[in-house]
Formats: sequence, C-alpha cells, structure tokens
Amino acid sequence: MKLPASFRDPSGFLFSRNHQLYRQVNPVYGDQYDLLMSSGLYNRLVESKLLVPHREVDLPPEDDHPEFHRVLAPEQIPFISYPYEWCFSQLKEAALTTLEIQTRALEFGMTLKDSSAYNIQFKEGSPLLIDTLSFEEYIEGEPWVAYRQFCQHFLAPLSLMVYRDIRLSQLLRIHIDGIPLDLTKSLLPLTTLLRPSLWVHINLHAKSQKYFAGKQVPTKRHVSRTGLLGMVENLQAIVNRLKWKGDSTEWADYYDETNYSSVALEAKKRLVGEFLDGIGPGMAWDLGANTGLFARLAAERNHQTVCFDIDPWAVENNYLKSVKRGQTGILPLLLDLTNPSPGIGWGNQERTSLIERGPADTVLALALIHHLAISNNLPFAHISAFLGQICQHLIIEFVPKTDSQVKRLLSTREDIFPDYTQQGFEREFRKTFTIEASAPIAESERVLYLMKKE
Amino acid sequence: MKAWKAATKLLLLLALAFVLWPPTVYAYLDPGSGSLMIQAMLAALFAVSMAIKVYWRKIKLLIAALFSSGSETKDP
Repeated sequence: MKLPASFRDPSGFLFSRNHQLYRQVNPVYGDQYDLLMSSGLYNRLVESKLLVPHREVDLPPEDDHPEFHRVLAPEQIPFISYPYEWCFSQLKEAALTTLEIQTRALEFGMTLKDSSAYNIQFKEGSPLLIDTLSFEEYIEGEPWVAYRQFCQHFLAPLSLMVYRDIRLSQLLRIHIDGIPLDLTKSLLPLTTLLRPSLWVHINLHAKSQKYFAGKQVPTKRHVSRTGLLGMVENLQAIVNRLKWKGDSTEWADYYDETNYSSVALEAKKRLVGEFLDGIGPGMAWDLGANTGLFARLAAERNHQTVCFDIDPWAVENNYLKSVKRGQTGILPLLLDLTNPSPGIGWGNQERTSLIERGPADTVLALALIHHLAISNNLPFAHISAFLGQICQHLIIEFVPKTDSQVKRLLSTREDIFPDYTQQGFEREFRKTFTIEASAPIAESERVLYLMKKE
Repeated sequence: MKAWKAATKLLLLLALAFVLWPPTVYAYLDPGSGSLMIQAMLAALFAVSMAIKVYWRKIKLLIAALFSSGSETKDP
C-alpha cells in the first residue's frame, strides 16, 4: 500500500507491505541514488547517524508502479513526530542536522534538494534525515534550491519562538510548507533589526519575494561554491545563536507545586513500576508527562516511550534532560490532549493524526483525569472511549474531589460534576476496559489502576 | 572593525540595489524567484567576505613572518 506522505516526490515513494515500510526508487532518480551510494556520502552520513540506514531488497514493486530502480528497506522509526509537536531545542537540532547534512553533501559533490522539517525524525533521541531520496548532484554555480524551504521550515519558526512567543511554533500546523516569510516578518519585533543576518534571511528575503513575485528575472544566477558554503555556515551560526530561556514566571512554578509528600511520590513510582513490569516492553505513551518523571520508569523497562505535554517549557525541559542523561528511549512531544494533532495536508492524509499513529501498547494517564473531567468538562465516558482508541493497557490515576488539586480546580467554578466519583469513574471505564489491578497511593487520596482494553 | 562593518553595510546596500533593479530581463520565473535573487546576493557577499578573510590571513602571516625574521637578526 502506497503511503500518502511521499506522493509529491517523483523520485520515489513509500509503501508498506506486511507491516514493513519500503521506499521505492523510481528510474528517473536512479542515477542520483547511485551517486549517493557510490560517492561515499551515504556511508559517511550513516556513520555519523545523520541519515537513516537502509538495505536494498529484492521485492516485487507496487502494482501501479512496475518500473523501478531499487526497493529499499529503511530502518524503522518507532514513532513519527511532526515539527509542530517538537519543542524549541528539537526544532533547533533538526535545523542544525539539516545544515550539517548539506555541508557534508557538498563535500561529496551532492546537495540537498529538499530541506523539509518533516524529513527529519527523532530516533534514539537524535534527529536524522529519513528521506534517502533528498539528494541530487551538485553542479558548480547552481543555487541551493532548498534555501527558501529551510527558511520557512526552520528559521522562521525558531526566530518567532525566541523573539515573539514560544507558542508560535503552532503556525507550522497551519502552514504545511513552513511559515511564510512575509507572515514571519510581520510578527517579528523591530529589534530583529539588531540581528542583521537573521533580518536578511527573513525580512529582506520576504521583501525580495514580494518584489519579484510575478516579475521577469534572469533565469540563471551564478552562486559560487564558496558563497554557498559561506551562506550555510552563516545559517548555522544564526541557528546556534537562537536560544530560548523559557519563561520562568509563567510556566516553571507550576511544576514545583505538587501535593505529594515524598512518601506518596515514592509509593506512586513503585506502583507504576510494578504495573509496568506486568505489561512487558512495547510502545508507551505518557499523557500529561510534565518533565517525564514517570515516563522514565517506562523507558528504563525498555518501552519506547513518547511523552506528551501541553506545556512547551515541560517538553523542552524533558528533552534537554533526556539528552543530558543519554536516555535515548524517550521522545518528548508537545500536544494538547483536548485538541490533538489532526491529519493535515492533501486529503488530510499527508501528516497523520495522533490516533492514526497509535495505538500504543501502554498509556500512562497520571494526575490527568481531573484536568480532563473538571477543567475541560469531559465526561468519563468520553475520556474512557478515547483512551480505548489509543492503547491496549492503561495505567491511570484517579484523583478524588477531596484532593487538594481538585479542590483548587473547583475553587473558581461551580461544581457541576456530580458523577465525578470513584464509583462513577470505575463504572464508565469498565465499559471499555477490564480493571486488572488497583491500589491506593500511600499518604494521598489517589488511586492507581491498571486496566486492559476489552 | 568599524570600517569593516561599514564596508559590509555599503556592500549590502549595493547588492540590494542590484537585486531590486536587475540589469537584464531574461525569463519569467515562479514566485520563488525572490528567494533565488536574495540567495544569489548573499552568496556573492559571502564569497567576497571569504576571499577577504583568506587574503587578510595571508597578509597577517606575511607581516608576522617579516617581524619574526627581523627580531632574529637583532637578537643573535
């Protein structure tokens, strides 16, 4: 079955057969693919963990594409994530990876013809290029065709996140080919003028686009190799200088305010660990993971763990912590669970929704239910049905109304939740799940459940 | 450094003028032509800057070499 993520590229396409992903190389791209392999660039990039490794396989092609050059079986990426789900540092690392690949490609007489952020994925904690067909022969004097795409996919969102608002990364969800530069220019503060290099790549670039739109210009512009390398080096310097320090007043304090005693916290960790031991390794999603304290328990048990949180600071913190500790089994991502990533692009199929990327073997939903049920007015039946769609096993914490955090949520609003009780919770969840175990968390009023989908 | 910055700014302005008023008209391109033009301008700037850097390094090396050989003769 041909996958809809790659239909735009005439060089080849992705297809799946027997749950294995393959990439067909079309005859039109044959010479370029052979150059990638024979030039030594493929080996160099794979050794440096910058490009996904593949093996060539002897497999009949897809029925509707009988003509082919090669069929490749790339190494699998456990979870496909998208730029609008990445924190600042993930997008920055993806940008630097793209520029590093372009520099190496030029050394081997090739160049990147795409610099889409969607071509980068995180594997074992590091970003790497997954589109093996992104290279073409470099011809001296030719410009870098992917320059505009790099500015839209990376430079625009990164600069908006740093200089305007971290939440503007979400513009990538609306603009599938990167944030338009005229929009970026209008959103960036005037102080961008103090950063001339960035100003040129965004503001002057946008002005140039507007000026030349629909105008007749010379078809050929000579771009020397030295100039091109200088420009890539300049982009690297700009991206390296972009730093997001987080807004400590707005985000950070919340995470220090827990109502757990150290005894309760240790008891909860032990219980979650025991429940995880009973499930066995697989794909685990931690919903509302904060900075990944409990997700790490899953990762330590060899679960491929994806952490979701709505807070950019928490995701950033989790990512940096995982990198620092070398915890490669954790992928922190930004997600509003009440409005999760939809399918976007042509036919709503180019980038898949969260649900389509599941189900996970295990979902952790710890200290989450009250936020969904009380802050977001979601009935238990809806929460249970949604969780049933995305997992086989569920480790979920029930937080009663008597808990101080719930009291706090109810302090500023009318209590319209008569069914928010432990009995009501169990009754609704039993419609989708079997409760396999439950245990109270010591020194708290909370209860932890292990459930299995019926 | 001030002189270098001023020179860069001047070059930038000249290059901008070059971009905004292209000398020859050849063909119609897509709306991405603005990106191509800015890239051509930037690459030209960086090529010049790289060349200056290389020559400047050579000049510095030459001066250093002259200086060190001079000091050797003074202090046998």
